[in-house]
Amino acid sequence: MSDAPVIDVRDVVKTYDDGRTLALDGVSLTIGKGEFVSITGPSGCGKSTLLHAIAALEEPDSGQIVVNDKEITGQRDLSRYRAREIGLIFQLHNLLPNLTASENVQIPMYEISISARDRARRADDLLGLVGLTGKEKKRPTQLSGGERQRVAIARALANEPPIILADEPTGNLDSKASQQVMGVLRDIQREKGVTLVLVTHDIEVAREADRTVSMLDGRIEDTGPG
Amino acid sequence: MSFFLLIFSNLMRQKTRTGLTVLGISIGITTVVALGIFVNSAKAATEELLRAGGADFAVGRSGSADLTFSTVTEEEIADLEAYDEIEHVSGVLIALSQVGSNPFFFQFGINAEDLEFFEAPLVEGRDLAAGATDEIMLGTGATSELDATVGETIELRDINFTVVGIFQTGATTLDGGSLVPLAVVQELERKPGLVTLAYVHTRPGTDIEALAEQIEDDHPNLTTLLDLGDVGDVDQGIEILDAVNLGITILAVFIGGIAVMNTMVMAVFERTREFGILRALGWRTRRILQMVLGEALLLCLIAAVFGSVLAVILTQFITLFPVVSAFITPQYDIEIFLRGLAVGVGVALLGAIYPAFRAARLSPAQAIRYE
Repeated sequence: MSDAPVIDVRDVVKTYDDGRTLALDGVSLTIGKGEFVSITGPSGCGKSTLLHAIAALEEPDSGQIVVNDKEITGQRDLSRYRAREIGLIFQLHNLLPNLTASENVQIPMYEISISARDRARRADDLLGLVGLTGKEKKRPTQLSGGERQRVAIARALANEPPIILADEPTGNLDSKASQQVMGVLRDIQREKGVTLVLVTHDIEVAREADRTVSMLDGRIEDTGPG
Repeated sequence: MSFFLLIFSNLMRQKTRTGLTVLGISIGITTVVALGIFVNSAKAATEELLRAGGADFAVGRSGSADLTFSTVTEEEIADLEAYDEIEHVSGVLIALSQVGSNPFFFQFGINAEDLEFFEAPLVEGRDLAAGATDEIMLGTGATSELDATVGETIELRDINFTVVGIFQTGATTLDGGSLVPLAVVQELERKPGLVTLAYVHTRPGTDIEALAEQIEDDHPNLTTLLDLGDVGDVDQGIEILDAVNLGITILAVFIGGIAVMNTMVMAVFERTREFGILRALGWRTRRILQMVLGEALLLCLIAAVFGSVLAVILTQFITLFPVVSAFITPQYDIEIFLRGLAVGVGVALLGAIYPAFRAARLSPAQAIRYE
């Protein structure tokens, strides 16, 4: 882990419903390279909105977000940023039902220059990394909840991004599957040295991080070790 | 997995919907292609008629509503024969009547002497004899349809004729009909001294176009028919067919376009969340556009192939009926199938542009939240 800021969120404000709902109220946060940070708090506190803003899925009303020394706020098309700089994991695995596990992992790779054969090889390697060797040809309906989420983790790693953003990745899993998924995430974060930002309302999951950021009513209330 | 296979896989997610859409578009394309085949076949048959008997060109009455209504007088034929460049003029009176199961059996009334110039190569028997009034020559198509051979007697318009020869020219209309003494046809049609068309054989080295122009200048009531483009002067049928064909093509594009739009809009709405995920995973708007347009295009290309095959089967089936086969032999020109393909592409673009842009312009965050 390094203290060099990879993600720098500066006084970010985000509202919905024409300003009537305040989701982020001047949030500032820095995250270092290779750091594992969990963002926790009750429902509606703004933790997912913050993650979406860092993922360039939501445009803040004001403030700045700088990732790897590049400002992502106010940019017109951030597809390249999303394809190469970050890997996203959702609460619901969001796998395409008509594709196999391997094909799902290949989805982000369509945006980088790589042959179909290399795409398939890399996808199978990543599935091996998350413990799904032999399940490459399985469709999402043929996998358990935990396995689907591990496919989603492999997909997030597809383009070897330096940052993984995970939004409640264990939210829909039982405790055993949750432990497996967190184990995979932790191992990958350590082995690959990626920066991991994980949103969760589960205190036990949050404690596994190097640092925990607690949010309430759109503001960061507390920051402390995991 | 290649991008193409991904597109194909997306189409296969809703097999029934995809199948029904393909079927709907196919029917439109079948109509366009089949009609195109028949229009081209009719044009080819008309063109064959203009060059019947190996003539360099035909001469008809200017302004006739239909080719068969054209009338050229014996005096005008004599005038034509007076041109130095013209070697011979064969006057032919075209008539139609029912024979057997064929309600449109062609009789080409011609003088026996003209058969020296009017090429109707014999397969069997001999030409009409000069002065004979009870002889008939049958084309090979007519022979097989009437099951008649040389020496047999057939009844045509209450008159018994002896089949004296069987000919084959390669022209569907001629080969499906008969050559009958001109005087007999003139009497049956009550058109004494008249023929439908004058078939002109020129001397070698003649500038045919200049001659045709001269004839039209000298005889404003006559029109020379060198190729299909001249047929409009004596027959609006081809132009009407072309207009109908164009109209149906435009209709097919619009109706097909609505079918594709319906399918693609439904697919885009159902997959709103999926498009959000793809955008969140880094897909550019352009790639989403490519995927949705690709799905529509593939759908329509499958329909174009299916529709074209169906059109060929349909035209083959229709030409089994003597009423059709007497006039035309299906012409499967590549241009017709390219038109079917163009209709497919047109339908795909028309139907998919709105849903594709809608999918591409979705906000990733809103799309992910979409239920």
